[in-house]
Amino acid sequence: MQSMDFERRGFAAGVREGFIAFLPVSVGLIPWALVVGMAMTSAGFTPLQAMGMNIIVFAGTAQLGTLPLIADHAPLWLILATGLALNLRFLIFSAGIAPGFRGIGTGWRWLCGHFLTDGSFAVCYDKLMQVDDPRWRLGYYVITGAWSWLLWQTFALIGIFAAGIVPKSWSLEFMATIALIVLLVPMAKSRPMLVAAIVGGGGAVLLRGMPLRLGVVTAICLGIAAGFAAEHWQEKKTA
Amino acid sequence: MNYDASLWLIFILLGLATTLPRASFIVLGNRFSLPPTLQRALRYAPAAALAAIVVPDIVGVSGHVDPLNPKLAAAMAAILVAARWRNPWLPFIVGMAVLLGLKAVFPG
Repeated sequence: MQSMDFERRGFAAGVREGFIAFLPVSVGLIPWALVVGMAMTSAGFTPLQAMGMNIIVFAGTAQLGTLPLIADHAPLWLILATGLALNLRFLIFSAGIAPGFRGIGTGWRWLCGHFLTDGSFAVCYDKLMQVDDPRWRLGYYVITGAWSWLLWQTFALIGIFAAGIVPKSWSLEFMATIALIVLLVPMAKSRPMLVAAIVGGGGAVLLRGMPLRLGVVTAICLGIAAGFAAEHWQEKKTA
Repeated sequence: MNYDASLWLIFILLGLATTLPRASFIVLGNRFSLPPTLQRALRYAPAAALAAIVVPDIVGVSGHVDPLNPKLAAAMAAILVAARWRNPWLPFIVGMAVLLGLKAVFPG
């Protein structure tokens, strides 16, 4: 244990180990970034607008999920409410991983917060709880965020220009729908999650006639409530 | 499709709607935490929101429910592939192939 503690010291050592742990996971970002880049071009964004969104928002799910609403010129509050709903999981990740930033200053914490993605959370959580040295933890975490950021911007840019040279009849905008499906399918593996998805999706279809597209937000709230209720019911049944 | 300057306002507000939830507890530290019941309920938000966006898009053609449209068949194929295999590219290849294949066979 003594020798392990000795090696786990300093920012540079954290960066090195974090990069090695994160590299295989980060490959999964490449198709996402390509698809999001193509979807932004299909929604009618110029390359500047698309890269602007990619850098400012830096969240694939929220970008893909709000694109159809933005392209539809939906009201601003609906776009924001949908983006927030898609980002609520980060509130939970943030609460979970927060103790891992003990001994790290507020400036770094803002950067680390901006860098919090599903991949960084998954790879860093255990290490951030176990290792003592704050500089090692910071290095380990920050490299996963910086590397994600770099891959995300690079491959989105490639996607943006790739979509520009593909003919309209290839229906590339459907790639965005498939991307949302690919995100949704693993989530819906547990029974209550499936209930939340079915109620959210079915509700949005049935309520699509509501004014100001209120149906989408109503359906999301119904889906959350249904998932939560299903979880309670499942627990009661097994208890 | 053209967008005016308000698009940048959307980006900035969406950026805030992303960074603030992400940074929230990391920046606040241990001074504040979410009630456990709310945490559990919020876990269902992403699945409900994704489905609420995707399902109306794939079951309908311009606002009307049409179960026989090529997008629904292509989406079903993508769902099956995504549920069965872990390859991240496969749902895109199969889904696009079904969509473009059906559009070629049944034009209009």
